[in-house]
Amino acid sequence: MKKTLILFAMVGLTNFAIAQKKRTTTSAIINFDATTSLDKLPKADNKTVVASIDTKTGNVAFESIIKSFTFANPKMQEHFNGDKWMDSDKYPTATFTGKITNLAAVNFKKNGTYGANVTGDLSMHGVTKQVTTTATIIVAGKKINTKTDFSVKLEDYGVNGGAIAAGKVSKDPKISVVADFK
Amino acid sequence: MQSTKSKSWLKKIAVIILIFVVAGGLGIYLIFTEKFEDTGQQKAAFTTNADALIREFQRNDSAANKKYAEKIITVTGQIAETEIADTTINIKMTDTLTGSYIIFAFQEQHIKEAKQLKEGNVVSIKGSCSGGSYSKILESEFITFKRCVITK
Repeated sequence: MKKTLILFAMVGLTNFAIAQKKRTTTSAIINFDATTSLDKLPKADNKTVVASIDTKTGNVAFESIIKSFTFANPKMQEHFNGDKWMDSDKYPTATFTGKITNLAAVNFKKNGTYGANVTGDLSMHGVTKQVTTTATIIVAGKKINTKTDFSVKLEDYGVNGGAIAAGKVSKDPKISVVADFK
Repeated sequence: MQSTKSKSWLKKIAVIILIFVVAGGLGIYLIFTEKFEDTGQQKAAFTTNADALIREFQRNDSAANKKYAEKIITVTGQIAETEIADTTINIKMTDTLTGSYIIFAFQEQHIKEAKQLKEGNVVSIKGSCSGGSYSKILESEFITFKRCVITK
């Protein structure tokens, strides 16, 4: 009975995958860089980000647990998660859902490097804002590599710590997202 | 006589201020150059297995987050998958029925050991739990760990 159920589930999932053309990874990487000339410490990465790309619809998404961001310095990590910053107890995740707006310019069936325009909603710290950025998509056989760089205004997301005013933390940190879909 | 006395007082005050400034500066320097301790040297607050931890998060992830987030936990389970992330490797333990999983990212000095592991190996991994969340992308629960080390 159990085996039959599993088989049904697998068939179901396969059908779903074919219909959706959705590719996922659970090891996408987000780099966060809020360094300034005064302070080189507010820099972190998270290598356990969930990401997806749908080659048919052009839908892209990622989900990140805020506490997964790793800083070299324990104090900085504590500040980042604290209530003056990301308040990760209250807002544990950051998510993005968007779309490639020039899907015709990207051929997922042909090896090459493509420039994609992406627009979508970035949610963090309890605020959702629209973000528009460009991404590089590299197609190599079945592998798809995507990379995008953008910056966010912390003020837009209600993050106003004292360190930002003091110039120790950038007002608009650089964020890069890299995802390898196999 | 009077002026020598006040001069010696001034000297004392200057020395005390200097000590405070140096100690404060040193304190700030130590805080900001501090690195995370090797997880291998830290004591685990909880020891559990992958299935039990996944079930606990699936039942109520906000309660599980309160209990486990930022705690050092040792988790034993079978490796379902290894994933390359840039120059590092992540290890996953998955509940095959629901697809929910735990993913472990390793501390820099322990990445080499993690790269030796293969799918199917049963291992114990100690690390800092970052908490769990329901993934809308995967339609399952995911729990992430950072600064991990293999203990067995």
